[in-house]
Amino acid sequence: MQSHLLWLGIAGHIIGFDTVLMQAWRIREPVMWLCEKITGNRKLLGMNLIGGVRRDIPAEIHDELLQVLARVEKETKQVINAIADDTTLRARCVDVGVLTPQQVIAYALLGPTARASGVGIDIRVDHPYAAYQELGCEVMVENGSDIWSRVLVRMRETLEAIRIIRDALRFMPSSPIIADIREPIPPGKVGLSSVEAPRGETHHFVITGEDSRPYRWKARAPTFQNLQGIPVMVAGEYIADVPIGLGSMDPCFSCTERLETVDVRTGQVRVYSKKELVELYRRRYEGK
Amino acid sequence: MIVSKLKEAKICFSNLRVTLPYPFGPGAEVGEGFRGKLKVDAEKCVGCGGCANVCPSRLIRFYDDGEQTRMEFILDRCTYCGRCAEVCPENAITMTQTFETATNDKTDLYIEQELYMLTCKRCGRCFETNNAIDRIPTQRMRRGRNFVGASMPHGAPEGGEPGK
Ligand code: SF4
Ligand code: SF4
Repeated sequence: MQSHLLWLGIAGHIIGFDTVLMQAWRIREPVMWLCEKITGNRKLLGMNLIGGVRRDIPAEIHDELLQVLARVEKETKQVINAIADDTTLRARCVDVGVLTPQQVIAYALLGPTARASGVGIDIRVDHPYAAYQELGCEVMVENGSDIWSRVLVRMRETLEAIRIIRDALRFMPSSPIIADIREPIPPGKVGLSSVEAPRGETHHFVITGEDSRPYRWKARAPTFQNLQGIPVMVAGEYIADVPIGLGSMDPCFSCTERLETVDVRTGQVRVYSKKELVELYRRRYEGK
Repeated sequence: MIVSKLKEAKICFSNLRVTLPYPFGPGAEVGEGFRGKLKVDAEKCVGCGGCANVCPSRLIRFYDDGEQTRMEFILDRCTYCGRCAEVCPENAITMTQTFETATNDKTDLYIEQELYMLTCKRCGRCFETNNAIDRIPTQRMRRGRNFVGASMPHGAPEGGEPGK
């Protein structure tokens, strides 16, 4: 919910429509305050532990939570209503950055990007985890295949997220929030989980090691997969449409940090190892 | 087109300024239970190493050096998860409300403390910190060689001769 509002703001900013940036972020802010109240931080919530979560939702916050949800819902609807017929916005988004359903499938694109091209994939429905089996979740599909459809998908999903949170609060059973695990975690076990993140499905893979510590942990964030669709999306488009084309996938580069350098004169590609990068950094910044 | 611009203007005008003039004026208050920069109370710490064991960023380190144990927090890697404070049996670590941690001096994010370990009389190796032993109510009975504190009731009168 907050991620989609954040994205709406950034997408607006990329095409020079800063009013929507200001307003979307203003609407989102109370959600961040709630996050801080419930978990202790706006981001990096640090709530999940093996066996459960660390903090319960305090009872005195329930009312405030519902109020914030109501307000965000109302204001999001207002914004959707206001921008729906904005011709400037539509000129930048409709039929721009088109990805056909065939391309989406060929490049295995995920999340709202896929759903905006009529490919209704959503892990919460396809392989329900946590409480999604009981709560249900409507998969928002648009068939425009362009940036405007991605806006619509995300806005409808924001409202759906509010619905899910309300239901979750209403049906929340009262039980311990964390299991009491005392045995050490056996080494050599493999765990794989897939959840639907705001940008698409994200997979975490872990092999347990000695001393209850992970031996290997690999995360595959959706942005990595979505970026594969960028070349076909921007092919033949105006250069001015490339930033919003890229932005329309809601890329998260910190999830996807991979680095290679290209020497523009020789065209030579080089990939640095971790050791080389550390040495380079030390030489540059610590004068060693 | 016009209608949509008017709707947008209405949203803007019905929500005037919401930002604060921070950092030139006071910023927003952080909520209760906020996890900010951590603080360690060296007096309370018993050197159990529980915090170092759970820290996901591995920034708490222990170095044993004879009678002393040096404990080091390199907080520039801290994710403010607060696990260390959660597991500390002595509540020596607290997550403060400080969030303005940006600095150009790395030592601001470095905490070092030394724990004096009492050695075992028999084998001579470190076994427990001063702080931990200090908290045992039979402390007064640990003088001299004839240590028989276990047989003394806790409420022994002040100045009472232990071990007799
Ligand atoms: S707050 Fe978390 S990351 Fe920071 S020192 Fe404590 S356990 Fe480590
Ligand atoms: S700070 Fe707490 S958890 Fe860490 S060594 Fe000291 S007593 Fe143990």
